[in-house]
Amino acid sequence: MAAPTAAGQDYATQTAPLPPPLAPSGREDDHPLLLENDSFAADFFRRTPIPTILFDGALRVGQVSESYLKVSGGCSAEEVLGLHADALFDHKVTLPSLGSVREALREALDTKRPYELLDEFQPNGSAWTIRVVPIFRNGVLQYIQMELKDSTEERQRQLELEERLYTNETFRILVETVKDYAIFMLDPNGNVATWNAGAQVFKGYTKDEIIGKHFSNFYGTEDRKNDKPGRELKDALRDGRVEDEGWRYRKDGTRFWANVVITPIYRGDILIGFAKVTRDLSERKKAESSLIEAYEEASKLKSEFLANMSHEIRTPMHGMLSALTLLLDTQLNSEQLELARVIEESGDVLLHVINDILDYSKLSSGTFSISHDIICVPDIVQSVFRAHEKCCKPEISLENHIDPKLPKAAEGDSLRYRQIIQNLMSNATKFTEHGYVRMIARLESETIESYTILTEVIDSGIGVPKVSSGSLFTPFMQFDNSATKKYQGTGLGLSICKTLAELMGGDIGFRANPEGKGSIFWFTAKMKKVKQLPPVDIVHEQIKELALHTPIVPFEDIKLAAVDKRILLAEDNPINQKVMVKMLVGLGFDSVDRAANGREAVEMSTKDPAPYSAILMDINMPILDGVGATREIRDAGIDTPIIAMTANALKGQAESYIAKGMTAYVSKPVDRDILVKVLLKCLTPATSD
Amino acid sequence: MDIPGAKDSIDPATFEQILEMDDDEDEREFSKSIVYDFFGQAESTFEKMDKKLEESDLKTLSELGHFLKGSSATLGLTKVQAQCEKIQHYGQKKDDTGSRDITEEDALKKLKTTITEAKTEFQDVEKVLKKFYRDEA
Repeated sequence: MAAPTAAGQDYATQTAPLPPPLAPSGREDDHPLLLENDSFAADFFRRTPIPTILFDGALRVGQVSESYLKVSGGCSAEEVLGLHADALFDHKVTLPSLGSVREALREALDTKRPYELLDEFQPNGSAWTIRVVPIFRNGVLQYIQMELKDSTEERQRQLELEERLYTNETFRILVETVKDYAIFMLDPNGNVATWNAGAQVFKGYTKDEIIGKHFSNFYGTEDRKNDKPGRELKDALRDGRVEDEGWRYRKDGTRFWANVVITPIYRGDILIGFAKVTRDLSERKKAESSLIEAYEEASKLKSEFLANMSHEIRTPMHGMLSALTLLLDTQLNSEQLELARVIEESGDVLLHVINDILDYSKLSSGTFSISHDIICVPDIVQSVFRAHEKCCKPEISLENHIDPKLPKAAEGDSLRYRQIIQNLMSNATKFTEHGYVRMIARLESETIESYTILTEVIDSGIGVPKVSSGSLFTPFMQFDNSATKKYQGTGLGLSICKTLAELMGGDIGFRANPEGKGSIFWFTAKMKKVKQLPPVDIVHEQIKELALHTPIVPFEDIKLAAVDKRILLAEDNPINQKVMVKMLVGLGFDSVDRAANGREAVEMSTKDPAPYSAILMDINMPILDGVGATREIRDAGIDTPIIAMTANALKGQAESYIAKGMTAYVSKPVDRDILVKVLLKCLTPATSD
Repeated sequence: MDIPGAKDSIDPATFEQILEMDDDEDEREFSKSIVYDFFGQAESTFEKMDKKLEESDLKTLSELGHFLKGSSATLGLTKVQAQCEKIQHYGQKKDDTGSRDITEEDALKKLKTTITEAKTEFQDVEKVLKKFYRDEA
């Protein structure tokens, strides 16, 4: 400001000769002039850089500094000297304002002490500090010294500070009083540093109880165990913010569904803590879950209704169709016959539709389950193929490729597996006018536990437009929605197949036939491997059934399986040995070795590589019995299938042999058909390798 | 295949299975060899049984019973098989079903009669079979 210039002037005046005393002028009364003769004092007041006026005891201007004259608006000293303060401030100058001057003078004179006052009423917005110093001699007022200081900047800063304080305060009050949000600060370690009314309402802790405690107190045991609070702070530091929804716990142990936002707060580069804002979403959560419940309930009711209705419709449909079959057998004239055929055809279609809906509604109401029988995959594939062969249009050539590695025994649902293939085959033949429909079934992968079977149906038919391919497996979707619907159906078939495939642990899909025209539909199904053979009595049942329906046991299979197989027969009784060898040779096993006791059996079979494809093991043998021999063979790491043979095994004994490391069991006297069955099962995994 | 006089002493299905293994239905070389082997085996086993009965060697008697049970079962000679099973049980000091314990004295007594019965059953079925093969041959 003006300070350096003033200092410069001071320096200049020091060397110059003292000015002559001021000439008295403009005096209105005869009161002796203040300091008239004291040129030193006069010079001091004139030149002080601090704007100063010196009044005498009657409040007349005695001295005035040039610096004052300069800041107060350019009067000359002569114009103001001798004027009364009122006259000066009222008429001559506007700085300081009259009101402020009067107040300052009054206060100083009343208290007889120096007094300071801020004059902020200047029209140009500047602010000045007025300092009035009354000077007394023997209790009588002698002089009044008035100094001015430009306080504009200081005032400005003050104002800003006040405003900032006001804002901070407003925010503080806002944060502290808001009750719908818990808003509080954590220190860098995650300990609670501030607390607001909302936090108290939500969490039940008072400020005193919680300040300084770690914020993980609000989390459940599980979250704490996983160090979720710690992770959230780390994430907030990394990402600048973290948001989470989850259960938070109140002081009393009850919980509420919360939305939490944590933001790290920095001053400069230093982390000073985290701001944490928590909202209580319990109400919203409750509304959401009741909506979902209502939806699920409605959906379940719908499915149940569909299932019931379909069932109710199906029963009379069957009655109608059976009656129609009988009617068709009677003497009908050609017109009647034609009408009856129309009814039959429509009835069949309707029944099909109803069955689809029934399946669909069962599937979507979750009342559907997949059975786990032991099924022969290639048989099912073959039988579906044969059924289509019979009724296929002559313009289509039907082909099939069945992987010989497909399991002949696996745990699965034959009905449902068949249903998918059936459906895909029907679609393919329905949408193919000429060309081919090709069915491929192969073992896609295999683990110790299960097989994954891939079945593909490839056709050269009309194909699927690209726009529809995404919604093929959506219920009730048919891409032919034209008024003249050429193809019949509910649009449920593929969606049912999808659900069935998923229930079988597989998947279903579509892709365009790369040969240009037509489609490829594929699906996979997971089937558990059969670990143990079914109990012998079941095999017996199966054999009996086999004997009833098809008296010929498929010896081709066993003869095929027997090729290049070496069998060890452990049997002490030479007669039994002879009969068994003869039987095995008759089945196509031309390499059968004999062991007369368990010891020999162990010695012969524990070689590397394992020399036998299967071991037939008598239980009761001298030296080492069958169970002991099995144990030694298994201990040697040989996993060759071992088939136990014994007469009159008690119930449950078969299982106990299997538990002791044997693979299967046949009772004595050995029935050839059962032996074939068992040998096939034992040798099949080996053939599929 | 009907075996004259076999009645219930031979299980037809089991014996049939043996007969089916014959390459030539007129010669019946295989089944005949098996049957005659069995005759030999049965006779020597009975001899051993008599000896062990004198020695009161229950354990060996049981093993012999099991042994002959196996081969008679293979041929479907059900009656012989049933007697042999009893011998096996008595040798283990069990009753005829193998479920309850009996005394050694009781066991020896029962063994004596059962071995005799087994021999009788064997001789009966031997006659039938010899006749069958003579007729066939």
